[in-house]
Amino acid sequence: MERLQELIDREREARELRRREADWNYINSLPPRVRAAIKLFIETGNLRLSQKVSGLGLEEFVEHLRRANVWVT
Amino acid sequence: MEAIADTSFLVDWARFSHRDLLFRVFRVVWIPEDVLNEVQSERTLMWIADRLASGDMSLFPLLPEYRDRALRLVELSRRGPTRGLDFPEAYCIAVAEDRGYIALSENGAAYAAQFLYTTARVWRAYEVLWELRSRGLVPDDAIFTYQEETKHKFPQRDIQRWRDCRS
Repeated sequence: MERLQELIDREREARELRRREADWNYINSLPPRVRAAIKLFIETGNLRLSQKVSGLGLEEFVEHLRRANVWVT
Repeated sequence: MEAIADTSFLVDWARFSHRDLLFRVFRVVWIPEDVLNEVQSERTLMWIADRLASGDMSLFPLLPEYRDRALRLVELSRRGPTRGLDFPEAYCIAVAEDRGYIALSENGAAYAAQFLYTTARVWRAYEVLWELRSRGLVPDDAIFTYQEETKHKFPQRDIQRWRDCRS
């Protein structure tokens, strides 16, 4: 139970970090589909679902996350 | 020790200047065919091709017994309170739990899986760096070098733990 709570806390902290450190100027400069996918990733952390929404390959999508200061954790 | 790596681990680790230290920890790093199909950048592909040629990496085929187990893990994970697994990570975990490999992934769902519904061990770059430091192969600041070079950021609680356990 303690471990489960730690995992849930980790998820919450990761989401807060993604929200806080995201470069919104960069994100808002992207095409709508990629922008929506990055927002989805920030909120859910679900990498492949977000990548599918973006229409990009996984590595290309991760590169956009990197440029947007959104961390994959 | 042997490992099986997913894309989220490889695309970051390939940017690290000491990336080949990975093979001081693992005799072989297996790459599932599906994972190889996801890698697109020249940097990552060239590194993988080089290591496949040297025998440090090897391709892992899609085997039906692991595919079925991976699909069950995906379904199981999506019932739980944490993030659900996707198939590529689940496949690595399915292979790792049967063969005793370490699954390498930066995906939080894969990290959580090892505490919830699989006996497989899942390492992020963090655990690999930890192992390298414990063997004296990287200095204390390696984790910060890794973050700088790869633009991958570790959770604050893990950074604190790293600082608290200086070698």
